[in-house]
Amino acid sequence: MKWLLVAFWSVVILSVALLIAAYMIWWERKFAGRMQRRIGPYWVGYPHGWLQSIADAIKILRKEDIIPKNADKWVYNIAPFLFMVPPMFLFAVFPFSKTWVVADLNVGLLYVLAVSSLGVFGVMMAGWGSHNKYALLSAMRYVSQMISYEVPLVLSALVPVVLTGSMNLGAITNAQKGLWFALWPVVGWVAFVVFLLATLAEGNRAPFDIPEAESELIGGFAVEYSGWKFAMFYVGEYVHLLAVSILASVLFLGGWRGPLLPPLLWLFIKTVFMYSVLLWIRWSFVRLRVDQLMVFNWKVLVPVSVVDLLLAALWVVLR
Amino acid sequence: MGIVKETLDSLVITLKNLARKPVTVQYPRERRTMPERFRGVFALTTNPETGEENCIGCRLCQNICPSQIITVIPEKREKRSYAKDFTLDMNACIFCGLCVQVCPTDAIVMVRANDEVGYSREDLFLTKEKLLANEKKYQDLISPMTGSVLRNMQTPPRPAPRPRPKPQPKPEEKKE
Repeated sequence: MKWLLVAFWSVVILSVALLIAAYMIWWERKFAGRMQRRIGPYWVGYPHGWLQSIADAIKILRKEDIIPKNADKWVYNIAPFLFMVPPMFLFAVFPFSKTWVVADLNVGLLYVLAVSSLGVFGVMMAGWGSHNKYALLSAMRYVSQMISYEVPLVLSALVPVVLTGSMNLGAITNAQKGLWFALWPVVGWVAFVVFLLATLAEGNRAPFDIPEAESELIGGFAVEYSGWKFAMFYVGEYVHLLAVSILASVLFLGGWRGPLLPPLLWLFIKTVFMYSVLLWIRWSFVRLRVDQLMVFNWKVLVPVSVVDLLLAALWVVLR
Repeated sequence: MGIVKETLDSLVITLKNLARKPVTVQYPRERRTMPERFRGVFALTTNPETGEENCIGCRLCQNICPSQIITVIPEKREKRSYAKDFTLDMNACIFCGLCVQVCPTDAIVMVRANDEVGYSREDLFLTKEKLLANEKKYQDLISPMTGSVLRNMQTPPRPAPRPRPKPQPKPEEKKE
């Protein structure tokens, strides 16, 4: 009967994740508004428009579902699922408390990194299947960006692994009993910052949102999508962001560890903090050019993270 | 390392703004007071004591209007003239305020309201009844910039004329 229990918890966690994703959109709009001295959503739902995301979801589900005449229908229709589902797989291995984890993999981090890069296929198929030059350009940009930024992402995520000696996310959390990895002098700081920046690029967020680039590519790979298929791309992006925020707090901020409050609440606080930092960066900068993006990755982030990883390894050996 | 400083600067600016109060005005529920000289929709005024219309039907506004949207039909009654009909087509109004500026009796004035809208063109075609009703409707928002005030601003009162030099007796020409 163990599989039934796993299925039950998967459904619970995925539903909660989708709900949280809806409220992340609301939080982003509030947060961005405040940064620009606006209020953000306010009138839909009494305190501060808390029903706004629900209203938007109902609205977008009622929209017409358009399939372009020349689209490759199979590819076009499968793409949204391939984009939205992989980030949802990630929630299986996150430790929400000491015992509460759906699948306690001993290669948890490897699984996370492998699955989170599956989303690229969805984007490539969306770009190809739409039969639209903007979508195709955007998909090509997205793929090149993902593949490039995965290198510093993996290298900086390896620092906690080296310091812990395990790929199990629960073990990594336990290793931060004394001091969070984000607070470790130099090695931890650099790894944390590199991970944050690579995360922004992986999540397709400004200043690294050139695949979406409203002003040049209209809406990016999702131009031709409407209705619930567009909603899947949109929600998929936020589910990915949520997963990545949880991952960052597990790897660098000590996961569910913390005094007094229950573990789930600690993880929630840290995740909200991480997400707010991502938003803060997003609303402070303008979009980079394609070449600047690549230069920043290969000439700054990759060398820095390689050196950082070597330093971490040296520290472990010499200890 | 200028780029690092600039990067941090922009982060600091957004963080500062996060702590500041929003400046949003919740428009239909709250309204911003328009500046004193704001030019908006029109109203025809009446004498507050006698309740008589101020308009004398002189047609100055009709003649000066650049978009030619004002039509005045004057009517002579026992004491003075009135406007028998006065229409103003807001669909073509350019809000130049010239009609207000020329009005000798301050009969047509502007209202400091920017939200006069309608569902059809007829809604924006102001008849005499609508113009007279606007005075009541926008009581507090009637612009203080009436014709006489504006004219005084443009041509301030002249200084008192200098005393004329007395005519000098013509110097007698020398006869030789």
